[in-house]
Amino acid sequence: MNDRELIGRVLAGDPGAERALYDAHVDRVFRLVYRMAGDLDRAQDWVQETFIRAFDRLAGFRGDSALGTWLCSIAISVSLNGLRQVRRARDREVALDDAGLLGHVPIQADPDLRTRLGQAIEALPDGYRAVFVMHDVEGYTHEEIARTLGVQPGTSKAQLFRARARLREALADFARE
Amino acid sequence: MPVHDDDRDPLDDRIRDLARDVNVPPPTPRDEMWQAIASRRRARPARAPRPRWIPWAAAAAAVLAVGIGIGRLSVPEPSHPSPVVADAGPAPRVNATAYRLAAEEHLAQSEAFLTLFRTSLERPGDHRLASATARQLLAGNRLLLDSPAARDEATRRLLEDLELVLAEIAQLSPGSPAQDLDLIRDGIERGDVLPRLRQAVPTGTVLNHGAL
Repeated sequence: MNDRELIGRVLAGDPGAERALYDAHVDRVFRLVYRMAGDLDRAQDWVQETFIRAFDRLAGFRGDSALGTWLCSIAISVSLNGLRQVRRARDREVALDDAGLLGHVPIQADPDLRTRLGQAIEALPDGYRAVFVMHDVEGYTHEEIARTLGVQPGTSKAQLFRARARLREALADFARE
Repeated sequence: MPVHDDDRDPLDDRIRDLARDVNVPPPTPRDEMWQAIASRRRARPARAPRPRWIPWAAAAAAVLAVGIGIGRLSVPEPSHPSPVVADAGPAPRVNATAYRLAAEEHLAQSEAFLTLFRTSLERPGDHRLASATARQLLAGNRLLLDSPAARDEATRRLLEDLELVLAEIAQLSPGSPAQDLDLIRDGIERGDVLPRLRQAVPTGTVLNHGAL
């Protein structure tokens, strides 16, 4: 069943179709959101929010882009808003207790470099971070990113260029080693 | 200066490879998330009761009436059988003018509404009135979009983007989380909806009924 048929069945109130739509797209959405969130609980919350919004707005989906692109667009919007809230909460925590608890970055190997890179990615401005994660980490093309974020492909390229420059700057010490 | 994919520093490849090892997603907890989605959708509060009359809603209702008028103007319905007339020239011109005037008024009201709504986001409050107004504007928006006179692509795009924003506001309820408001603000800003509305509304457009 293609996306159009699936959407038709969901809008007709078929609960099985809702689950089928979710199953068809959840892996891609989860990967992207987890990369942005860096935290399982947060990623789960944001993915749930993404699908709840998607089901609410499905009647308004006009098919100008692929359903997967539209879902990723909602996911990115939810993630960026979530990250803003996380930052605000952290700012408050830091103000109360300057304990240096910033930056939850799962460390799997080579802790110094990975930690620094994780923190540097986290410190990128939202737009740069989304483009960097989508392009360099998850392998989206600039055209896909442009459709997802509602920007021009040139903007996506420019943001990636600047994101890479910031990361190089943040990791300059390691580059000299 | 154009930016090309091959504007790469040698360090970029190393960073990219390392970045793929940061925040590596675990297997998707699909059943767990689906259960949470289903339960949150079941638990959502019923729609808020229809709020009392407000000026914004009156303005939107005026748009709705204009929109219905457009629909009638756009589909001429002869009151009695008449001979087939080959020249249908003047009618579309009248329809186009009526459509343009109605669209301008609708866009002006939407612009005023979104400006007020965005300002209201800066303080906590009950958004039921805004939600009701958005629903009314949404109805007018839909009529304009569906009108056969809706030929201008830029206006059509703007109405489509406006529809998404209005639909989001229309769904607000007293229990809506702050994240909903952030998303709406984001939607208005990302699509440049307000600047495009301002651009689409000719200077001096007067809001009929002065309700806003």
